[in-house]
Amino acid sequence: MSQLVFHCFASPPTTCHSGRSHALLSFPARSAGRVTQSRNLSSGLPIGASAAVLLIACVLTMTSAPAQGLDPSELLKPLSRDWPTYNGDYTGRRYSGLAQINRDNIGSLTLAWAFQTHSASLQSTPLEVGGILYISGGNQIWAVDARTGRQIWHFVRPGAPVSGANKGVAMWHDRLYMTTPDAQLLCVSAREGKLLWQIQVADPALKAFGGVAPLVIRDHVIIGTSGDTADLPGFLESVEPMTGKIEWRWDAMPHKDDTVAWNSWPHDTDVATRGGGMTWITGTYDPELNLLYWGTGNPHPVENSEARVGANLYTCAIVALKPDTGKLAWYFQSSPHDTHDWDTVMTPVLFDGTFKGKPRKMLAQANKNGLFFVLDRTNGQALISEAFVPANWVKSYDDRGQPIPDPDKEPKPDGVLVTGGVGTNWQAPSYSPETGLFYVNSRETMGVFYLTMPGKSAEGWAGRDFFLGSKSMLKAIDVQTGKTRWTADTLGRGGQFGILSTAGHLVFTADMSQNLVALDASTGKALWHMYPGGNLGTGPMTYELDGRQYVAFLVDSVAYAFALPAPESTGATATAMAGR
Amino acid sequence: MKKFAVIAILILAAVVLLKAQEGAPPPAAPAQGGPGARNTAAEAAHAGAAERGRSLFKQNCAACHGEDATGGRGPDLIRSTLVRHDKNGDLIGPVVTNGRVEKGMPAFSNLTSSQIEDIVAFIQSQLTLFDLHTRFGPYPNDIPAERLATGSVEAGKAYFDAHCSSCHSPTGDLAHVASKYNPPDLEVRFLYPSGAPSTAVVTLPDGKKYEGTVLLNDGFYIGIQGKDGWYRSWPANSVKVEVHDPLAAHAALLDKYTDADMHNMFTYLETLK
Repeated sequence: MSQLVFHCFASPPTTCHSGRSHALLSFPARSAGRVTQSRNLSSGLPIGASAAVLLIACVLTMTSAPAQGLDPSELLKPLSRDWPTYNGDYTGRRYSGLAQINRDNIGSLTLAWAFQTHSASLQSTPLEVGGILYISGGNQIWAVDARTGRQIWHFVRPGAPVSGANKGVAMWHDRLYMTTPDAQLLCVSAREGKLLWQIQVADPALKAFGGVAPLVIRDHVIIGTSGDTADLPGFLESVEPMTGKIEWRWDAMPHKDDTVAWNSWPHDTDVATRGGGMTWITGTYDPELNLLYWGTGNPHPVENSEARVGANLYTCAIVALKPDTGKLAWYFQSSPHDTHDWDTVMTPVLFDGTFKGKPRKMLAQANKNGLFFVLDRTNGQALISEAFVPANWVKSYDDRGQPIPDPDKEPKPDGVLVTGGVGTNWQAPSYSPETGLFYVNSRETMGVFYLTMPGKSAEGWAGRDFFLGSKSMLKAIDVQTGKTRWTADTLGRGGQFGILSTAGHLVFTADMSQNLVALDASTGKALWHMYPGGNLGTGPMTYELDGRQYVAFLVDSVAYAFALPAPESTGATATAMAGR
Repeated sequence: MKKFAVIAILILAAVVLLKAQEGAPPPAAPAQGGPGARNTAAEAAHAGAAERGRSLFKQNCAACHGEDATGGRGPDLIRSTLVRHDKNGDLIGPVVTNGRVEKGMPAFSNLTSSQIEDIVAFIQSQLTLFDLHTRFGPYPNDIPAERLATGSVEAGKAYFDAHCSSCHSPTGDLAHVASKYNPPDLEVRFLYPSGAPSTAVVTLPDGKKYEGTVLLNDGFYIGIQGKDGWYRSWPANSVKVEVHDPLAAHAALLDKYTDADMHNMFTYLETLK
């Protein structure tokens, strides 16, 4: 069955200048409709005026005005003061070299500002580029002054509900890109928050949706897709940043000329054309090898084994693709023939080092199936395959280090008890090159899995699962051994929260009691905590402005930025005092 | 009591968080088996139409599209883009009436518009059925007891006597338990009856003790509601805390159950009607 797709434009591109030299020009919106344009809350001045005030302030306090917008070549540099892409940089480590806030002074961390979105729970990791934060929700983006927390503009997609989850935006020059709950890709002007164009990526009537943060690589915007109710095929696409035109598409479902993948599915039914392999969390990139790494979701029907005998490539796999063509370089399947909904979308984290005496380019992933993998990222060969929580579904490992599932632990009509499930989830982990530790919020679970739709014509979920008592904890895994070095030591710590580690020898996350916490990166000891009145939606991020380091957390509908106490105020009162 | 409601909501929220792994807007979902569908007049009429449609479909369509509409010689209608975009027959109707001769589907011009409406109602009900077999409800709790009771009553009773009888009794607290819960709820509840709050005894430096239900225990603070109804909290490092988890025995057993133990226990408990 062919899928209905669609890159239909609201109207043809009219002002697309090709070439990056023109990219900083602004382009008129191609889609008619309402775009809310908010005023600066503090001054009530129109945007232009308050932007001018800001600009003057910047000029006064800095040696030069900050470079605005994002040349994609900046993304090739090591992470520094900004946070210009979903994971901070291409490695997916979520490790920042900023060390102003460190384990010696963390006790004096204080609130710099809070920004209230008055919106639903936020799941996005904000970008910070040139002193501006870009925070996203379903069909909306807020541009916020990263110094003050004051809103610059609020983009609301014309005619669309401001609901649903969004994991973040990507930036290319003066443009932002986001995917939406109805599976569209939007391009929005970063200066003014105006919609420039939108394209339909997948069919929401077939229960496809969006939310994944796109990834910019040079002049490609790479996007994934979501949906796990009905059976629909997952894919990655690269689009032109100016026009939204598709450059390539990589399918998680097998093509006939790829015999390895093709032969991993039965073909007496059309199951191999149907579904799975959603690409719903942002991947990582190695510019030297020029390889894009991305994880894929589970196959469909989800909990029925009989309908799809075989490994079911390329579902539940880490794939390495050429970003200019979408051609597959290698794959590693973390759950061959998955029957438990164990997507492999968790961030593939990249780092280099020595492994057993040999220099290696490595990729590590803590998987939803309870296993921790370290791969040689040049070829996908496993260096470590090791359970980080009990996982009774693994029978053994093959010669590439891929697990071989135990058929006795496939869902059964009368239920089966399975451990290892949702050992972690999509919320980003972190790796610190300083400690050599991979930090992951983990969960030891017991699940009971029922097959409710047996037979070869099963579709959709085809089963039901219940998770019983679970134990959550943050684990620090040694990437040389795959063994857990320590687990965070107090009650209830660890959960479905993202993690940030820094050169300040700190690990930032939240605990199961909703506290924001900073732990000692070497020992896991809690050094700071704060109850923010809600749930951390994803991982924290950090940036530096005017020589001051900030750590930002999105909690429910509020963005909080913490920093060390500000140097002496330069406000009017202080000046008057000094004049006496 | 309110605090229990709060705890129950927190647990439900945790379950929903655990399940909402793609960040899809989860429909309001009974996490562990839900009530049956509400039976309104409109639904009853629709069900009637769908039933009439089922026999019409079997007669006219099933040879190619399969009795359950999942396809065969002809396309699978459950995943059909056209079917998913259909509104009250606006897309399906013309295809049935005119056929798709170029693709080998004959025209069914003999079917009346009300018959086509019934067929559309049947196809829509099949979509709903297949979508109900998804992770999120609401879905009818349709796992029958016979399907789960694959173990041995005797072995289940022996397991119960060995592991459960010090706290529970088949004629006391568990009398008629199988009549109180539908089958998957019963199974999930005996495996791990989540929701019972922990209690704690907090001893102050001067030796004074407070006992109550734990409302906060995050490693930084301990907060309890005492029998007098008052809430009190202390920095965790300033007091001695002994927590009692009433589910500790269930948590310990959970790690030890084999699949056979689970089936035997369910089969035995199901006899306690």
